[in-house]
Amino acid sequence: MEYFLSEEQKIIKKLAKRISDEYVSKVAIKYDKEGIFPRDILNLLAYTELTGVYIPKEYGGFGGGVMEMCLVVEELSRNCAGVAVSYAATALGAYPIILYGNEEQKKKYLPKIAKGELIAAFALTEADAGSDVSSIKTVAEKKGDYYILNGSKHWITNGGEADIYVVFAVTDKSKGPRGISAFIVEKGYEGFYCGKKEDKMGIRSSSTTELIFEDCKVPRENLLGREGTGFIVAMKTFDRTRPGVAAMAVGIAQGAYEHAVRYAKERFQFGQPLSSFQAIQHMLADMYINIEAARSLLYSTCRMIDSGIKDFSKESSACKVFASDVAMKVTTDAVQIMGGNGYVKDYPVEKMMRDAKVTQIFEGANQIQRNIIASEIIKEY
Amino acid sequence: MKILVCIKQVINSDKIEYNAQTKTIKRSAQHLINNPADLSALEFALKIKDAYNDAYITTLSMGPDECKNKIKELIEVGCDSCVLLTDKRLVGSDAYSTAYALAKSIEKLGDFDLILCGESSLDGETSIVPPQIAEYLNIPHIASASDIKVLDTQRIEVERKLENQLFRFEVKLPALISVKKDSAYLRLPKLSLMLKALCYTPQIVNLADLENFDFSKVGIEGSKTLVNRFIEQSFDNNKCEIYENIDDSQIECIANIVMRLI
Ligand SMILES: Cc1cc2nc3c(=O)[nH]c(=O)nc-3n(C[C@H](O)[C@H](O)[C@H](O)COP(=O)(O)OP(=O)(O)OC[C@H]3O[C@@H](n4cnc5c(N)ncnc54)[C@H](O)[C@@H]3O)c2cc1C
Repeated sequence: MEYFLSEEQKIIKKLAKRISDEYVSKVAIKYDKEGIFPRDILNLLAYTELTGVYIPKEYGGFGGGVMEMCLVVEELSRNCAGVAVSYAATALGAYPIILYGNEEQKKKYLPKIAKGELIAAFALTEADAGSDVSSIKTVAEKKGDYYILNGSKHWITNGGEADIYVVFAVTDKSKGPRGISAFIVEKGYEGFYCGKKEDKMGIRSSSTTELIFEDCKVPRENLLGREGTGFIVAMKTFDRTRPGVAAMAVGIAQGAYEHAVRYAKERFQFGQPLSSFQAIQHMLADMYINIEAARSLLYSTCRMIDSGIKDFSKESSACKVFASDVAMKVTTDAVQIMGGNGYVKDYPVEKMMRDAKVTQIFEGANQIQRNIIASEIIKEY
Repeated sequence: MKILVCIKQVINSDKIEYNAQTKTIKRSAQHLINNPADLSALEFALKIKDAYNDAYITTLSMGPDECKNKIKELIEVGCDSCVLLTDKRLVGSDAYSTAYALAKSIEKLGDFDLILCGESSLDGETSIVPPQIAEYLNIPHIASASDIKVLDTQRIEVERKLENQLFRFEVKLPALISVKKDSAYLRLPKLSLMLKALCYTPQIVNLADLENFDFSKVGIEGSKTLVNRFIEQSFDNNKCEIYENIDDSQIECIANIVMRLI
């Protein structure tokens, strides 16, 4: 399919593809098995300047948007979604600053994120606040020039590895979602610790940890936006980063599909290649149709967001839901086509099937996305 | 420091096809690559540029117009300017003629402190061109370098690794060094440089631009070597024997032999 990317976008995709095929593919299985954080790959992305594609030019980035970020995530995911999510989580931590940071905050953090000198993270979820994010319990109390944070966060991507964390905490209990505020917390602040590392089903090279705040002192100037706007900061960020999850899903699906097609042509049974059986051919055809449909929806959504249109929650949710469901189906079918070889760790598709699952869960489970879409379409008509 | 790197565009060795009649290699733009040993040389130049901000890297290639696209890739990794010497009269030039044409171009392009070449090209494998350029230019030359270190603006240190020996030379500049393939690996491109390359066109030089050029020294006529015969080697008929049901000790024995040989 021809997607009419701009010359610049084609270059970004080509460069990301090269890093993915020449470097990520070589470490994907090892890093998955041993849970190694892909700092070496992030360094390559920094060297090649892909860490700055979505950062505005005035802060040292390339000046692209969600589309450019997604092209990198998609290509990395073709070989390892764990690597891709380690890259994408920095975008998740950077977008609140791009959208709501003041001039000092932008100047302080964005150029370093663009250069790949800072890794970022986004800390919203808690043990008792997953889908129901507005019920978070971490508190931030203003004391002189500081906010004092107490509480803990769960499931934080890049936990322990990131240099800065956008952390959401309650500043006014009486106001519900309007009492939540966002803060930039730097690694090394007094009272800020990294807790248990999760032993995950997939994306095992990415680091997912607990974060603990015990009378953590955060300077007042690190409040992001105004007090009480934290919930909006989170939701507007997600609107821009859900396509990143969709890109991850499209990339995983594309990778699994490529392995399945090649395998089906090489593997002989009953004296002929698997690809000569209609049952297999139809599975491959359905993979192709679904991947192109998911990618089309993803790229259209990215273009819509980057054009400056104001409301796109529904579209952003739709591409995340559709692409992640496609990734789950395609990777499951790829394992099926490869039979026993699909089910063992010598081949990459079993990893892809494990990796695909998380795209249906994080940044808002697919059920929650469908809630968002439904409430918008019901409002519209 | 002004550095010149000679980089040839060659046919990817997996894709080589011969024309049996003319006894030449069929060239097709799609299968062109930058010669791997030359890219090792380029990496050394880029490392010098990393360390010395004032280093300026020019590349020089000789070949048909189709080479332009491959030359753009040199801008993507950090070369400052690229030159393509192209002229119908150069077609069929052997190593001797090529070295002459390159040396005359280098003279025209200016004074370089350091000239780097790959040790040999994938398609020719003669290793003659670099020393011959140095002879024409009347500057010192060291072949098959495995490492290069800049000592100061006047001197460099060159390392050459042989099987059981290591040579270290100190050379006064200007000098020409040819670099062993795989002695360095070319770095990845950068996004901003790829954008620069997008609208970059290499500087084109024709023979008419060169001073006091002796046309009788180039082309098929001017070449000293003549290809007598091409013998195509086919690996298809190599016999392969398959042994089934061999036991572990036999596998171990074979593995040991292979390990000793590689
Ligand atoms: C690997 C990984 C990385 C993550 N990274 C981050 C991160 O960097 N930062 C961060 O803040 N969070 C992160 N998360 C958290 C993630 O966003 C949450 O896991 C997700 O929002 C779901 O929350 P939960 O796990 O608490 O599930 P729950 O909210 O308990 O939901 C469980 C199930 O119930 C369903 N459900 C819940 N409510 C409804 C409803 N109203 N209607 C219908 N169905 C419903 C859900 O769809 C889900 O399938 C990460 C999670 C994982 C697994």
